[in-house]
Amino acid sequence: MAPRGSKKGSSDPTQNQTLVLDNGAYTLKAGLISSSSQILPTYEDCRVAPNCIARSSREKRVYIASELEKCNDFGEMAFRRPVEKGFIVHWEAEEAIWEHEFLNAKTGLRCDPKETNLLLTEKPNCPAVLQKNCDEMVFEQFGFSNYYRCIGPTLNAYHPPTPSSLSSLPQECLLIIDTSYSDTTILPVYSGQILHSAVRRLSIGGKLLTNYLKELSSLRHYNMMEETHLLNEIKEAVSFVAHSTQAFSKDLDRTWKGRIGDKRELDPSIVVDYVLPDYEHTSRGYARPHDPVKAMMRRGLQPMQGPREDILPLGNERFAVPELLFNPTDIGIQEAGLPECVMQSLSALPEALKASMLRNIMVVGGNSLIPGFMERLESELRAVTPSEYTLNITRADDPIKHTWLGAARFASNPDMLKSVLVSKAEYDEKGSTWLGKRFATRAANDPLEL
Amino acid sequence: MPLIEVLPNSGAVRAPGYAYVADTGYDPSKVAINPKDRKRVSHRPGGPPSGNELSARQQTAIARRIAELQRDNDPKQIINPPVKPIPKTSATKKILLSNKTIKNWLDDEEAMLQLQQQAPPPRDPARAARALVNRRLSTLASVPGTPFEANSPVPSIPAAIPRIEDATMSDDPLLSISKSVPREPDRAEIEALLAVPPLPYSASFATSSAGGTPQRFFCDNCGYWGRIRCLKCGTRVCGLECKDAHEGTRCLKWA
Repeated sequence: MAPRGSKKGSSDPTQNQTLVLDNGAYTLKAGLISSSSQILPTYEDCRVAPNCIARSSREKRVYIASELEKCNDFGEMAFRRPVEKGFIVHWEAEEAIWEHEFLNAKTGLRCDPKETNLLLTEKPNCPAVLQKNCDEMVFEQFGFSNYYRCIGPTLNAYHPPTPSSLSSLPQECLLIIDTSYSDTTILPVYSGQILHSAVRRLSIGGKLLTNYLKELSSLRHYNMMEETHLLNEIKEAVSFVAHSTQAFSKDLDRTWKGRIGDKRELDPSIVVDYVLPDYEHTSRGYARPHDPVKAMMRRGLQPMQGPREDILPLGNERFAVPELLFNPTDIGIQEAGLPECVMQSLSALPEALKASMLRNIMVVGGNSLIPGFMERLESELRAVTPSEYTLNITRADDPIKHTWLGAARFASNPDMLKSVLVSKAEYDEKGSTWLGKRFATRAANDPLEL
Repeated sequence: MPLIEVLPNSGAVRAPGYAYVADTGYDPSKVAINPKDRKRVSHRPGGPPSGNELSARQQTAIARRIAELQRDNDPKQIINPPVKPIPKTSATKKILLSNKTIKNWLDDEEAMLQLQQQAPPPRDPARAARALVNRRLSTLASVPGTPFEANSPVPSIPAAIPRIEDATMSDDPLLSISKSVPREPDRAEIEALLAVPPLPYSASFATSSAGGTPQRFFCDNCGYWGRIRCLKCGTRVCGLECKDAHEGTRCLKWA
């Protein structure tokens, strides 16, 4: 018997529009998907906004999420990110961000939660209490009409393997490598279901790389411990992955200053000078090949008149920082490198699944955009896979929005979406413990729930 | 003196109003940076640290550094949203006002797990459900050849896994390649794999294998190979120039 409250929309309580939200630690990826339209969503339907509240001590104001696009002065800006290690922790800040981005938004994704379904993604291995908090906030604070929460990268199985064939969705065996801001996770997905026992995690993510670069630059050049945004920009602009361990040592030699009495020329093809923005005339810096003369001028010999410029020379920082993804032990993190993580994940699977997983590896997440990352990953993976297995590894066209697009494609199919959504009436009747269990077990497919 | 005891009167999971912190033994990040008994290091069973082993002080420094690199938010910088959200129910009020960080939550989870392992509460519906799942699993695993049910919820195994029926049809054993092709997992096996509950966060990390690549050491100052070791604190540096810089700034001798 349905409770009284749910009778209003008794035949079909699901709404026509769905807010698909990939709530990442660094950026949130969101878009409104209508389930009636026949057009498949594309990357263009996705809006990316920083998932943070920032305070500028110079301008004495607080920026929320997409307001940062208008900001020109990131000097000494302090950030508060509601998502820690991939899980939503600070709901006070997250509430303000969602409110700003979707509910009270003047433009863009304005929607009324009462008439909207929410498809929210999360990271694997989320503590159950945090999941419960999330469910309670979605229904009790925001009041979304229907809701489904699932592990985001699994929805990548709903991308058509070839553009023409839509019939065989979800893809059967898919190994997702999600190298994101918080950490890097390996997720084997079987027919859209995650194989929990084989999920592996590497605690290196974009955040750690930025912080590491910040630490190195502060130690070697200027104190930049407050300039997180700038260092993230520098990391994105100049870092690259050496294409093998041998290449790494060679590059390290080429960027070495040499001993006393045996000075060496720095190799200008690797060492760059990053011209720092002063946030007065310029708001973005840029990199240019290293110039020893100008680097000398850096040491207080600059002209008093005319344009001053501050240069941050970057040598081995360019490749030693992303190298951590492959050798976390370099700074003492006792974890296996990325290729080894993949193999450890696969070793928890039966032999046949292992073979088919290796044939269909998809890399998503921002770190995969670092030049050389894919080449290094592929060659090191090839070296550790048995020779009789085919290895097929691709990077998503847009690794940042790809998981969102998978979720959007899932949401654009009304039947699939209806089978997983839980309505507010159901939640009000059965409570958050039931909801947590329902999302934890295999949603609509589970015989326990039918 | 009256004895006050909390009687279990509901089926909900007991959530303590305080956080247990799992005592996982020695945690170098919590130890004082100057261990008191360092003079006795050489008398410990393992003997004095030799070669590439790290001293307790170095371990502490490394653990601190990693914790610093992995931190999401600066606890000193508390930035509140311009408009305070208004909680609508008591549950959301609790969530919105909570100042816990991820470390608190993960510690809670860890402690909860240990609590469950130590003393399984007798009538806990969550556990009962889990036991049911386990029982289901065991029946599934023990009866592998069950014929398909008509309205089975799991999609049947499509053709992505190579299945070479035709080759095995010819009776010639030399032509059979079934041995070189891994056995296709049966439904029960996949069913069991899919039904495994998620690992706790702390168990999801890939462990570093002992036989992996050897640890590389880098200069503490410039990032080149760490060829020599500072005599005072054991940190690696690349040469005399960096050694001077190291002693001037980062040497742990006086840390």
